[in-house]
Amino acid sequence: MVDPNIEALFKPRSIAVVGASRHPGKIGYTILKNIIECGYKGKIYPVNPKADQILGLRAYKSLTEIPDEVDMAIIVVPEPIVLKVAEEAGRKGVKVLVVITSGFSEVGNVEAEKKLVEIAKKYGMRVLGPNIFGIAYTPANLNATFGPKDLRAGPIAFITQSGALGIALMGWTIMEEIGISAIVSMGNMCDIDPVDVSYFLADDPNTRVITIYLEGLKPGQGQRFITEMKKITKKKPVIVIKAGRSKRGAQAAASHTGSLAGSDQIYSAAFKQAGILRALTVEEMFDWARAFAEQPIPRGERTIIITNGGGVGVLATDAAEEYGVELIMPSEQLKEELRKAMPWFGSPKNPVDLTGQAGVENYVKALEIAYESPEVDNIVVLYCRTAILDPRDLARAIIDVVKKHKDKQKPIVAGFVGGYDTYEAMKILNRNGIPAYPSPERAVASLAAMIKYMKYRKKIE
Amino acid sequence: MVEPREIILNALKEERRKLLEHEALELIKAYGAPIADAGLAKTPEEAGALAEKMGFPVVLKIVSPDISHKSDVGGVIVGVNSKEEAIEAAKNIIENVSRNVPSARITGILVQKMARKGLEIIIGGLRDNIFGPVVMFGLGGIFVEVLKDVSFRVAPISYEDAYEMMKEIKSAKLLEGYRGQPPVDKKAIADIIIAVAKLLEENPEVDSVDLNPVIAYPDGAVVVDARVILKQ
Repeated sequence: MVDPNIEALFKPRSIAVVGASRHPGKIGYTILKNIIECGYKGKIYPVNPKADQILGLRAYKSLTEIPDEVDMAIIVVPEPIVLKVAEEAGRKGVKVLVVITSGFSEVGNVEAEKKLVEIAKKYGMRVLGPNIFGIAYTPANLNATFGPKDLRAGPIAFITQSGALGIALMGWTIMEEIGISAIVSMGNMCDIDPVDVSYFLADDPNTRVITIYLEGLKPGQGQRFITEMKKITKKKPVIVIKAGRSKRGAQAAASHTGSLAGSDQIYSAAFKQAGILRALTVEEMFDWARAFAEQPIPRGERTIIITNGGGVGVLATDAAEEYGVELIMPSEQLKEELRKAMPWFGSPKNPVDLTGQAGVENYVKALEIAYESPEVDNIVVLYCRTAILDPRDLARAIIDVVKKHKDKQKPIVAGFVGGYDTYEAMKILNRNGIPAYPSPERAVASLAAMIKYMKYRKKIE
Repeated sequence: MVEPREIILNALKEERRKLLEHEALELIKAYGAPIADAGLAKTPEEAGALAEKMGFPVVLKIVSPDISHKSDVGGVIVGVNSKEEAIEAAKNIIENVSRNVPSARITGILVQKMARKGLEIIIGGLRDNIFGPVVMFGLGGIFVEVLKDVSFRVAPISYEDAYEMMKEIKSAKLLEGYRGQPPVDKKAIADIIIAVAKLLEENPEVDSVDLNPVIAYPDGAVVVDARVILKQ
């Protein structure tokens, strides 16, 4: 069951920002501004002993002065007064503390962090942080971060142990039009850890896939991580990128956050045992997440590649072999049908080569056949920019076919290679729930991740 | 049959961090792993008698809390084929060790039945400060030393996990047999991996376990050398 105090982290009915500031450029200003401007519907209470009003809201001298219940207290005050504020929050009945302030275990100040946890325990509060950039949950129009504010809503949750990278990636998801349900900055993880957050996300109808940037777990926490994440991956795919793979990287991680990074091979084993997919780069993590976000989980491994160019077809075939994606050998009957979708010099084998002469109708026909065929579980559609086929027209046509065959439960990924208009076509596809990538390899790798997850789920069932 | 706890507690009492070889073998045997038949002799005559009882060929190894690289100090003699040879070999080992490491305490001499040829593998375990007991599997020799071709799992593990560990290494094909060899007995290997996991789980004093080599056959597997380190 999800701890109601963790639920309050995502869906608070009221928020106090302790250390709210009138001065643009201050974190206490930006967070408050983000909360207001992103359209949060609950009550917002700035707390600042020296201000009467901040950003048009009445300010309070202290938490205890607020004439209402406070679910979430965001703490931005300097480190020496964090504990005092935490006490006040406890007496006020706050459910969850979001401690933005740094200067705790990450710089060796273990004592203050321990006390913070003790205070929280005493009052039954939960603590996110300290040393974080905040939390965002788009279904509640909540953006309590000092990152960018125009997050794109969608079904991908992102949990990050790195602050700077997390904020940077917030901006990146906006640029890449990656739809986000939640972004949670973990910081020192003095109390709430990725498992606690994943519990909520696993049952959250607005989240379809959980991504985690992990630097390291705390000593003794590994067993719990495996047992609990096993329960979560049963419900939803979890993709982790674990930093500190190299020996050097591991050292940097240890001194960076207050937790120790363990040996990388052991992490790999643990992820496998928990059913977690491990991505090696940020790009890979979001590539896969995009596929999980919009497409159904595969029902089988049998995959067909439809292309208008031999080159991208071969590259996709190589990638399929490398990632263990099973390419079907179409039956005579299927080949006969596919021939109708291509000029006489095309190839109905897999990859199905519609040739450079292919127009929208050829693709539509071939896709229809693939969707209808009982021999096919998954579809990879590839496109190389040709003079006769505008990729944007193709994108729109693919969207229609995919919509029409939604009930078939066959995942589709696209790999489009070309210039500006091709990039535009990919955006059109992505906006309409068809994961599109600028290379055949990335498309195949993303499908491979989905197949891997499907196999894991089948294994444990 | 010796109680596993007794072996560990006895070593701790004597402030030894490393179990003696016969203790390590006993310990792993107590967890159900088959070991190459072995016994501890206190004198050359005892060594001769033990060897005769065991059947030949045997290997003799020095047992001392002060020596970890036994062959470097002349503490190992292999291919011993008779009672007389065994007595002679034991005398030689004691002489070599006394000359090369005069300060070494000599507990005795391990007489061990020589395992027949098979595929050398390594099975290990360690206590990770984040994940707790972890087990490792790999092929022996250059595969583990040079290529670091090993796989890990966090305990507790199932048989399925153990089989996956075997499939996961890059040189997994060698387990299927090559040059006309039949495949090795994977169930027997899995049994040993699971024994190591259990040993680590049930004995928090154990810091690491090295079974190197374990010899795998088409029918069974046997632990030849065991090293068990306790926590400080």
